[in-house]
Amino acid sequence: MITAGNRSALGTLAWWLIRAQFRSRRAATLLSMLAIGLGVALGYAIHLINDAALADFARAMKSVQGDPDAVIAARDSAGSVPLADINQLARDPAVLVVAPVIETRVRIDDSPIPVSLIGLDVFSAAAVMPQLMPRHDDRAVLDNIFAGGVYASPTLLERLGLRPGDALTLVRGEQRWRTTISGDLPATHPDEQLLVADIAWVQQRFGPAEAVSEGRVRLAPDADLSTWRTTLAQRLPAGLLIRAADDDSARLSNLSRAYRVNLNVLALVALLTGAFLVFATQLTAVAQRSTQFALLGVLGLSPRMRLLQVLLEGLAIGLPGSLLGLSLGYILAVAFTQLLGGDLGGGYFSDSAPLIVPALVPALAFLALGCLASLTGAFYPAYLNRTQALAQALTSGFSQRPAAIVASPSRLALPALLALAAFALAQLPPLFELPLAGYATIALVLAAGIASAPLLTQTMFGWLSERPLPAPQRIALQNVAQAPLMAQVAASGLIVSFALTASMVIMVSSFRVAVDHWLDHVLPAPLYLRSKATPLPQPLLDALATPDAPFARIERMATASLTLDPRRPKVALLVRELERDNPAARLPFTGPVLTPPVAMPLVWISEPMHEIYRVGAGETLRLPLLGREVDVFVGGVWRDYARQFGAVVISRDDYLSLGGDFQPTDLALWPLPGQQSVAVAWLAPPIERYGLELADSAAIRELSLSIFDKSFAVTYALEAAAMLIGLFGLAVTLAASVWLRARELATLAALGFDRRMLSTAVMLEGALIAGVGLLIGLGCGVAIGSVLTHVVNPQAFHWRMPLAIPWPMVVAGAAITLAAAVLASRYAARQATRLAVAQVLASAQ
Amino acid sequence: MRRRTFLSAPLLLPALTLAAPARAPIAYPAVGAGVRLAFPRDHGAHPDFRSEWWYVTGALDSPQADTGFQLTFFRSRPGTAEALQSPIAARQILFAHAALTVPGERLLHAERARLLHAERAARANLGAGFSIVDCDVHIGAWRMSREDRRSGELFRLQMQSPQFSYDFTLTPSQPLLLQGDGGYSRKGNGPELASYYVSWPQLQVDGTLIVDGKRQVASGRAWFDHEWSTAILDGLAVGWDWLGVNLDGGGALMAFRMRDARRATLFAHATWRDAEGRVRQFDAADVSFTPLRNWSSARSGASYPVQMEIRIGELTLRTRPVLDDQELSASRPTAVVYWEGLVHVEGSLSGRGYLEMTGYAGRLRL
Repeated sequence: MITAGNRSALGTLAWWLIRAQFRSRRAATLLSMLAIGLGVALGYAIHLINDAALADFARAMKSVQGDPDAVIAARDSAGSVPLADINQLARDPAVLVVAPVIETRVRIDDSPIPVSLIGLDVFSAAAVMPQLMPRHDDRAVLDNIFAGGVYASPTLLERLGLRPGDALTLVRGEQRWRTTISGDLPATHPDEQLLVADIAWVQQRFGPAEAVSEGRVRLAPDADLSTWRTTLAQRLPAGLLIRAADDDSARLSNLSRAYRVNLNVLALVALLTGAFLVFATQLTAVAQRSTQFALLGVLGLSPRMRLLQVLLEGLAIGLPGSLLGLSLGYILAVAFTQLLGGDLGGGYFSDSAPLIVPALVPALAFLALGCLASLTGAFYPAYLNRTQALAQALTSGFSQRPAAIVASPSRLALPALLALAAFALAQLPPLFELPLAGYATIALVLAAGIASAPLLTQTMFGWLSERPLPAPQRIALQNVAQAPLMAQVAASGLIVSFALTASMVIMVSSFRVAVDHWLDHVLPAPLYLRSKATPLPQPLLDALATPDAPFARIERMATASLTLDPRRPKVALLVRELERDNPAARLPFTGPVLTPPVAMPLVWISEPMHEIYRVGAGETLRLPLLGREVDVFVGGVWRDYARQFGAVVISRDDYLSLGGDFQPTDLALWPLPGQQSVAVAWLAPPIERYGLELADSAAIRELSLSIFDKSFAVTYALEAAAMLIGLFGLAVTLAASVWLRARELATLAALGFDRRMLSTAVMLEGALIAGVGLLIGLGCGVAIGSVLTHVVNPQAFHWRMPLAIPWPMVVAGAAITLAAAVLASRYAARQATRLAVAQVLASAQ
Repeated sequence: MRRRTFLSAPLLLPALTLAAPARAPIAYPAVGAGVRLAFPRDHGAHPDFRSEWWYVTGALDSPQADTGFQLTFFRSRPGTAEALQSPIAARQILFAHAALTVPGERLLHAERARLLHAERAARANLGAGFSIVDCDVHIGAWRMSREDRRSGELFRLQMQSPQFSYDFTLTPSQPLLLQGDGGYSRKGNGPELASYYVSWPQLQVDGTLIVDGKRQVASGRAWFDHEWSTAILDGLAVGWDWLGVNLDGGGALMAFRMRDARRATLFAHATWRDAEGRVRQFDAADVSFTPLRNWSSARSGASYPVQMEIRIGELTLRTRPVLDDQELSASRPTAVVYWEGLVHVEGSLSGRGYLEMTGYAGRLRL
């Protein structure tokens, strides 16, 4: 019996066992560690990158917006906040100061790159946005900011090569402002390229008359934000909204949430795979050492200690694995942000690489997660180790499973039940605006696949093994059919990894096909011209209207954005020249196209808008347009893969009749037949002069698809990792089963099986297990691919697409995996051929 | 004259001087004798002039005796953005400054006397504004306004800050006091150095005072000044001493002097209205300021004659501050340090009033 006195001896024993375990199964242990590490690394990297990207975004926002308690702004990006409302707000005793700003984009001396011009009031700005405070320079021509100079961020000054005192012209559409640099903005972030001027001068030159872009509010310290906000919201004019700092952060996190969650699920998959590997390794370890453990048991090691020992060994894999994962995650995060930016190619944030700053608590959390995964993997082997009958184990080694292995109806019921539950879950709506039920469906599909593996193995190979076959093949078949535990372990790794890989391939392919079709529809014109965020110059529009312009047809579009909910990203407003009666000529509708029953403005909303705001065709929508709320009729829902947060199309005629000012920013151009190159040459001077962008539809299509591929780059890398882990799991478990059946194999060798025949038998066994795994994996993969395409994508990203399975790619993938599985079995086969036959047979009774 | 260093003010940032631009001099109206002021119209703003202030000082008796308060609105027309059409062009800038002298409760607690202050700045039409037909000037929720009620006219002062807030009504108990010659008040040895200057002493204060989150009913006596001008500071002057006193028994006394760099008097004037309403004006020759005791500020290093003997004609008065440290540092429009606070006046006449001393911590520039 163990007494307190020999606790330290027990510690030594535990340590000794762990060391022995690591030495004898070096490769398996290292790979388990690596898998756990990969899962941790991935999750941690996503966390770090997202944290950094959000901080970067918030910082960028703060540096141009300051940190107001609340912001009063127009819901329509074309709208503004009337001065009267700002002045009324300022008189509120709860308001310490309201800092009005006018924000616009201008081009400097016709430079093609527009920069932000912020008109502010130095009296109020100091309290809310001190980073934007200008510093007057001695070389300035003008006396102070009120005299009309502009102040540039140091980075912008450097880029322009201008110095205080130099003259420059700011251009926005038709308006030009000739002014001089009066100083710089010493407190702006080094990334920032912006101009600051007195608000009155900006208003005078570029508008809006009698209004400002927004009012940024600092509340009195004793004022309660939520009460104040509720009261104010009630008397705020319809076209205005009040936005608090927490709305900004909610909007920020909404921006990339679905994308982030998807990546985190991938990390979870890696972690689960790691847990599986620990399971496989520890199970074989327990099996191989069952005699040793039994001996220790007889010598007084309690069942509880035997359980703890295996768990401890699991932890001994998990802890270094997690530590490795943390460092790998950090390296990954740094590398990915440098390569792809803070959104991993998702396109949500700016291009700048954010700074990665690891914090202690998340790091510890991920460490714990990794350890938990390895403990989970080690639990079943530990349990088996505890329940081993000592006497039996001492004489005949590890007992795989005492249970009956008949194909009873109950064994069929489990996978069927799981599949049914998965089907039911797939019908559920999103939870917390995330496809959580969809993810659960995927987990259930995998579980159903794994649960059906033994059934399929036994039925298929049991039947096959009764066919007249050469001995090695029959032995292999019987082995697979009758040793379900090991076979199942080996197969389930492949099932999971292949199912996930196939499903991602299916989903991405479906998506790509859909995007391809969609691009066909949304790019009808050969040429597209756009200005960057400022209206197209009127002289160009005039010139395009003259008969000598080499164009058969021109369609203009203006873009703006609307805030329907301050906590969500803005919805794009597209004012287009399209026929009210025939919008389908330009928009890829997904359902019926309706006309309003009465005379009212007509809009067509995008699919994401339809999903996010739960509005459908034929319904009436209240839009914050042009400073008021306008009821519009939804004429249809069109497919849009470009704007994830929703878009509304309105015809130019409706927009004008609502009192809107149509300032085109984009043109679709149809050159006269055969004159595309003439047209491009005709456009070259204005493009050069006004800093416009011209692209032909083929280039846009190519760019869109390359962005698409880039955004799935991470996914592909992960799939490859999952496949490797699955294959390795197969090799490890096969090797273990070879070891377990040492006596049997030795007997076969003694009976005259040569090395080649033994090797063939083991490799065939591997191929058979892999075949079963791949078959089930493929079935699960198609099922999961449909779930990803029809449930997860619409719920997470609000876009739908038809399922398009790339059979050649999937089948080729399966074939390659099978070949790799056979190769992996060679590893196990080599072990079989190295058995010292006499010794094995001698040690058996 | 006086008040507010706002005047002097380089605006906000040291390099952004608000001084009239050299290239486009604007024509400010001159201040001249013989203009007849009309009320309430002349309680309102005179935006053509370069500068203007509405200024209330007072002493409260409750919730605690010798609590001093001050609220000033200052309007400046710096001569910038004059050609701009925009309604928010920075042609008229408003500053406000509020202070509260809390005498402390020496008996109950060891609480020390202290001076609290707060300030605001804005351009007109952008969170601030003024009326040109009556006294009504505000920056955000800070406001000084005149109202006609059935019971008669009154002023209302409203200000809030994290440390202290007040909402007072000021009810006149006496008629207006036009300083100098019918409101034309000379500030130096030249006719152009002058302002229009209207005072209203002995205003009854009622309302609420919030200090450190504690709301209390307040009452006391206040003094209202309204002054507008274009040029008041002599080229040799570095600062001034000014005193406005509500005398016990109902009289009112105002005295000031302009000092040069050697602390010698360049110009001085005083006005005394007794309880019966008889007004006497005293010229420079009849007014003298003699320091009795100096207090040195550890913060600025400046030394202020907090106790002075002031001779006005046959009168001899001495000042005694309720708190030595009533030095203020206005951060807006620029860091300017001066002393301004509640004093007791003793001698030939007695009462309480505000003493303002500028230019002791460096030359004051207008």
